[in-house]
Parts: sequence; structure tokens; C-alpha cells
Amino acid sequence: MDRKEILTGLIEVLRTVRTVDPAKLENVTEETDFLTDMNTPSTELINIAAKVEQKFDIEFEDEDIDEMGSKVKDIIDLIIKVKARTDAEKE
Amino acid sequence: MQAGRKVAIVGMGGAFPDCADIAEFDKKIFAGQSLIREWPKAAAYGKQVRSTVSAYINDDDLGLEPIYLMDGYDWPETFVDTRKRIPDLNLSTADLGSVWAMMGSLDSIEMAGWTKAETESEQTAVVIASGGANNVIMRHGWHAFFELGKKSRAAGSHTVDRTMSYREAANVSCLIKNKGVCESIVSACATGLGNIGYAARLISFGLQDRAIAGGVESTSLETFIGFDGMQVLSKGFAAAQSSRPFDVNRNGFVCSFGAGIVALEEYEMAKARGAKILAVIDSYFNNSDGDGNMFYPSYEGQQRLWKGLMANGGVKPDVVKVHGTATPVGDIIELMSVIDTLGEDGYHITAPKSLFGHMLGGAGSVELITAILMLQNQKVTPSINSDNLNTEPEGFQLKEGWTGSTKPAAAYRHMIPQETLAKEINQVVCLNYGFGGTNSAMAISRAN
Repeated sequence: MDRKEILTGLIEVLRTVRTVDPAKLENVTEETDFLTDMNTPSTELINIAAKVEQKFDIEFEDEDIDEMGSKVKDIIDLIIKVKARTDAEKE
Repeated sequence: MQAGRKVAIVGMGGAFPDCADIAEFDKKIFAGQSLIREWPKAAAYGKQVRSTVSAYINDDDLGLEPIYLMDGYDWPETFVDTRKRIPDLNLSTADLGSVWAMMGSLDSIEMAGWTKAETESEQTAVVIASGGANNVIMRHGWHAFFELGKKSRAAGSHTVDRTMSYREAANVSCLIKNKGVCESIVSACATGLGNIGYAARLISFGLQDRAIAGGVESTSLETFIGFDGMQVLSKGFAAAQSSRPFDVNRNGFVCSFGAGIVALEEYEMAKARGAKILAVIDSYFNNSDGDGNMFYPSYEGQQRLWKGLMANGGVKPDVVKVHGTATPVGDIIELMSVIDTLGEDGYHITAPKSLFGHMLGGAGSVELITAILMLQNQKVTPSINSDNLNTEPEGFQLKEGWTGSTKPAAAYRHMIPQETLAKEINQVVCLNYGFGGTNSAMAISRAN
């Protein structure tokens, strides 16, 4: 799964988060910041994380989320990291 | 309610089963049309449930679009308001009942004609509650954690705000931005009337000038199952015939869902600004049975309720809107307590639960709205399905120590119209009771 596919999946997740303005999803890039660019309420970030876990069939550690930045690329980095970790655990 | 400032009802709204709006609710109930339907969601559980009828509101009724979590959970994570009444941010913290409460509050405020400054004032209260927490969201949240071993966040970050006991008041307050009291008064099936009564006291006692008040019970199979397990729900009748207050063959209530919200205002202020006054609250009183019994209704408790309601005079109703759930004992104890207080003639008794079942925490407020509609229409709602009244006294009427009437229910047939009755109605008394032996009564009258 490359970064572009993950971004597409992430946008699908964001479309179900009603506090994210759908209009703002049209131009999302990896540099988009959830808090400053999309005005996402901070309580909503944890909801997004929980949905990402379900979408990508992964489970973040609490520390992963505590340390996560608020940009789209931070979430993509984390998904890739955790997916690799999960796959390694399965092997 | 002690003598104090007079309280007017200046707005109303809510969520009514199988009705697009309050106008359709008005039309259907005075046409004697039952709002109770076979409930596919309950029926899907086959023999696990006894009862399968309810007056329910679906997640996608009333212009709402539920948004589900992506792994196929069948509970809405949030709602979209396709009619753009409520902002997404407010919807994100609301369970279904809170969404209904917000819609009912906006309708009530619009009808009241309050300005933005009045609505957002320190003198405006929000007093709304439902019978309990949101069981739908809690069930899925706990299941994910305890049974599936998921992280606590799997239930989302809104489990607390969407399930807490005073979620409806909190969500409405965040929406309308009032700066006065924001509370919930919870008293089982007396909740709906209890919140309005408490809000009326705030105004009467001079603590607030305005209030948005009411009761809610959001559609929940989980809540329904609790009562189904107690074997207290109606069984064996077609949906529209299943709620049968006073009827000799009644065998339980119909568990229903809905919301009723009203706007209250100090009478002189409402009058001075030329508001349309829907009704005036003449008296409110509540008490407890004090007999140590959680479930069984108390004749003495209801007698004391009436005494308190009438303590300051001015209570002489043309209609008594009873709690009348269609449980075997409750209906006739209530009938006899009304008769003993008001006599055997000169007023009528109506049990609107015959039309839409028992909305639990929403019952008292939706039925108060029904009473306001009776004042507006000058018509008594029909007690449908009260087809045959017992021609023999009930067992408790023959017991030693019984102080009420020993006549059978059939002796009072003339007081319980089965069809809509047009007549002059100046005052309606509303009665509601709840588990734990809590009793509430309110008298409302026409503004003039």
C-alpha cells in the first residue's frame, strides 16, 4: 500500500467525520494540517485515529497517538510504521 | 407550585413517532389514528422478545441521515441534518434523542418568538432530560471494549457526551447558548412533566425568566428489552390495538419513543411583548408514594398528589389527562383516585397512551403537548381501544382498608370518550408517575 492509496483511504475516513468540512477535503495534501487548515476540533483527532485503525485494520499504541503530529503526512507516516510493525508481528 | 410569578407556555416542538412534525401529530391523534406499529427491529429477534410493537422513530426519520462506523456497526456514529437545522459540530456530540431535543428547542424558540439576546440571556434556562443514559451507544462501546478487547477509543471520543444523563440539556444549551440554568431532572416516567414543572418553578420563584424544558426518550431496542424482560409490555394484539388503557383485556403498556419540548416564559413579560400564549401553568405539584414499593402504584400517594396540586385553589379541570399506561393495576387505581377527587361527572378523562404508547422519559412532555393541543382544538383526545370496561370491581377494591370507590370501571364509561369529543375546555390536568413511587401533576389553562 503506497502513500497515495493511504491518502485516498484517509480521505474516505474523513468524509465520515462530520466535523470536518467536506469542501476542505477537495484539496487535501500531505501537508494539510488538521488543526490549523481544517479546523478539526482536537477531540475529533482521536475519533479519526480510531476510524483509521478500523479502516486499515491496525492498532496504534497509545504512545503512537500521543506523539502524532497534526498534519496529514504524520498520520500517513504512522499508518505505514504501524502496518509494518503489525506485519512483522504476524510473521 | 407556590404562589409566585405566573408562567406561560409560548412555544412547543419535539419528535413524534410516524409523524413528520407537530402538525401531523395533531391531525393524527385527534383523528384517533394510532401511531403504534409493528417494530421490525424488535421482531427480528424472534422468540427472544415477547412484544414487537412500538411507536418508534427511525434513525433516518425527520430529515436525519445516520453516519455509521465503517466496520459495519449498526449504530449511528453521528447524524447529518439534511435540512440544515443543526450544525455538524453540535450533531457530533449528540445522540438521537439530543438531536430531537435540539430540533424541538429550535421549533419552540421560533414559535415563542424570542430574540437572540433573549435566548442567550442569563435569564434563560434549559431543563431537559430522558429516562436514562443512551443505551444504544453504551452497549456498543462496552461490547467493543469488554467482549472484543478493543482499545477504549474504539467507541469513539463522544461516548461520554452522547450518553451522559444530562446530554439533552447539555446539547441544547451548547446549541442555543443560553447563560442561565442548564440541568436535567430525572424521575423515570415522570421525567417529561418533572422537567417542565421544575423549569416552571424556576420562573415562578423569580430565578429565571424563560426556559426551554421537556423530556425525551430516544429509540432504543436496549431500553425496550429491559421492559420486555419485566413482562410488562402489551402482547397479543395487532399494533394499533395494542395500547388499551382501561380496557378489561389490557395486559401491559407499549414501549414507545419520542420527545416533547416547550418554551416557558414569565407571563407578564410574554404578554407585554405580545407573544402568542399557548397555555398558562396554573399549578404544579410532585411527591412520592412513601410506601417503600418501587413499582406498585399508590392510591394514597395519588390522593396526596391531588391535594398538593389543588392546595392554592383554581384547579377545576374540564379534562384529566391520565398517565393511563394500560398495565393491569395502575389504570384503575388512577381512575379511582381521579374520581374520588373530582367526582363522577362534569369533566372527562383521556389516556393518550392509547394512541402512541408510553414514551417513558418523553411521556410527560409529549402528553403535556397533547393537552395544549386539546386546549387549542377544544377537543378531548380519544381513548381508543378502551372497548370494554370491567363490569366487576377490581380485586384491590374489595380488600379491607380500601377507601376509594367500590364501583367497577364500567360505571365511569361516560367519562372516558372513545372518540374525539368537542367541548369547551378551559383547563386540563396532566398526571404522570414513575418507578420509585414518584408522582407529578400539572394544571394548564387557556390564556384568556
